[in-house]
Amino acid sequence: MVETFQQTFGAPLWLAVVLASGLKVTLILVGGSLGMMFLTWYERRAIAYMQDRRGPNRVGPQGSLQPIAEAIKTMTKEDTTPLEADRVVHFLAPVVMLAATVLTFAIIPWGNLFPSDLSVGVLFFVAIGGLHTLGMLMAGWGSNNKFALLGGMRGVAQMVSYEIPQVMAVIPIVLMTGTMSMQRIVESQSGFGGLGWNVFTPVGFFAFALFFVASLAEGERTPFDIPEADSEIVAGYMTEYTGMKFAVFYLANYMTNLAICFITASIFLGGGNGPGVNELGGFLGGFLSLIYFFIKALFLFFIMVLIRATVPRLRVDQLMGFAWKFLLPLVLVNILSSALWVAIIRWDQQAQIFTQWFGAPGTADAPNFVRLGVAVAVTIMINLGALVMVMGLNNRASQARMHTTDEELALGL
Amino acid sequence: MNYIVVVIFLILSAITLVSGVMVVTVKNIIHSALWLIASFIGVAALYLLMEAEFLAVVQILVYAGAVSILVLFAIMLTRHVTGEGTRMLYERWWVALVVALVLFGAVITPTIWQQGANWDAAATAAQASITATGEGSPAGTAVASTINIGESFMREYLLPFEIASVLLLMALIGAIAIAFEERTGRRRVLTLAEEYALKQRGIVEPRDAEGAVVPSIEAEQAL
Repeated sequence: MVETFQQTFGAPLWLAVVLASGLKVTLILVGGSLGMMFLTWYERRAIAYMQDRRGPNRVGPQGSLQPIAEAIKTMTKEDTTPLEADRVVHFLAPVVMLAATVLTFAIIPWGNLFPSDLSVGVLFFVAIGGLHTLGMLMAGWGSNNKFALLGGMRGVAQMVSYEIPQVMAVIPIVLMTGTMSMQRIVESQSGFGGLGWNVFTPVGFFAFALFFVASLAEGERTPFDIPEADSEIVAGYMTEYTGMKFAVFYLANYMTNLAICFITASIFLGGGNGPGVNELGGFLGGFLSLIYFFIKALFLFFIMVLIRATVPRLRVDQLMGFAWKFLLPLVLVNILSSALWVAIIRWDQQAQIFTQWFGAPGTADAPNFVRLGVAVAVTIMINLGALVMVMGLNNRASQARMHTTDEELALGL
Repeated sequence: MNYIVVVIFLILSAITLVSGVMVVTVKNIIHSALWLIASFIGVAALYLLMEAEFLAVVQILVYAGAVSILVLFAIMLTRHVTGEGTRMLYERWWVALVVALVLFGAVITPTIWQQGANWDAAATAAQASITATGEGSPAGTAVASTINIGESFMREYLLPFEIASVLLLMALIGAIAIAFEERTGRRRVLTLAEEYALKQRGIVEPRDAEGAVVPSIEAEQAL
């Protein structure tokens, strides 16, 4: 893009860089906000049909202009700040939250278009997600309201716990592709006629499931919407916000969910890769890849809505137990089996016994199916074994709790 | 292009330094923690300016995202939530100032001692390679990539790395031990439904966390 500005318009280098960056940032901001508007409408309609209702259907065709009506409504509302609140922190909290969310959009690969190719893209996404927590804590504390503070505290505990499985779930993919750059992770999945997605390997599938669940908690989706549990603590950390500030929290929330869908689609579902993209090539191929990318991301969002309509909210202790006793062991085992996967598929000089047993490692054009088969079998065995074991352990603990006798209960054991 | 980098560097270091000063001068302890986060992010931006992307992201992930959040969390759990002004400047502030200056000097002096003579040469080399290649990190001052960092952890600095890991593991086990001990000594508090079910069946009185018999709800209401 920088070259285009330089060659076509004859702009000096610094101007070209500024213009290109400005254009990218504008596109991302507008795209993110429009995406959020679509998502709010889509989620309400979809969840309404799942609950045998209609959902918003009056403003515009099928109610599709409802988000605009709501934006106008929130803008005209009064913006209040509690008298005893810490005014600066109270004001900055939504700003921090939105800034953290918008920053994550910098590394999302739109099909075959990459706004910026950071060499540590995946890590960047998780690190910036951590700043989200800061906004939550600032809102909770700055409002000087006990419900807001409770929500903020719950939010921090949840985010700090679920960040760990989220980061660790990506490590298998980093091991398999040998890079943390989003661009190269997406490119590495273009094998097998555009269907060499990470999710089709056993390790990748496990990582996908674990990452998506941990991300649901990071994005405060419903089974994990503890920080804003409206039946328990009013609206959590946003209790004291009105008008546009409240809308900014909402915007940040939905944009985070959108970013999670995009990132999951890029890391595990092949991003813009699909049948026909490489064959078409050029502009048409790029357009097709964009369409594939959006279909995958929207599919993931549909799953999010489905989960929201199905699963009730967890209790706080259940939430913590799920992160530390269920997700974390499985994620650790998955890292181990991904290391085995890489060794079995790729090692040649490092372990010559593998070459003796299974033949030379395959190339991109001619994969070694013996090695592939052995790797699939081994990793499936390890991962399923770990899953059964962890589930059994957790189940035993909960069974023991359920079968407490009355005498034990009375003694408070 | 180079002037822009210098200007950005000056802005970023000003942000970092000002927030660092605010950390120790602001009266409200929560504000002080928030300024600390601003300072961490400023340092991360400086790393980014040096094209050390991995270091910058880890700085945000570990310091701005985890350490300072835990600091804030701990402050909020232990202090008065209203955050009344606490005086941060005591009479012997100059001792702290001297200690800080000595530590800073201990870090900066060897660097200047060793590299001071090379500054002009390094600057000209950087200029020459920038004009030659147009962009990218100048030759001879290549920034350590993620792979370099990983390899030096696993080879050159394996022992310090492992010792740090063992230290963290000890902290983890210690925390679990403390929490577990406290937990086993504590009784389970019954829910209202459990309490009610027990009373329905006329079984022993329910007890609270300390082991004292909980008065029944009717008895409390009668009082």
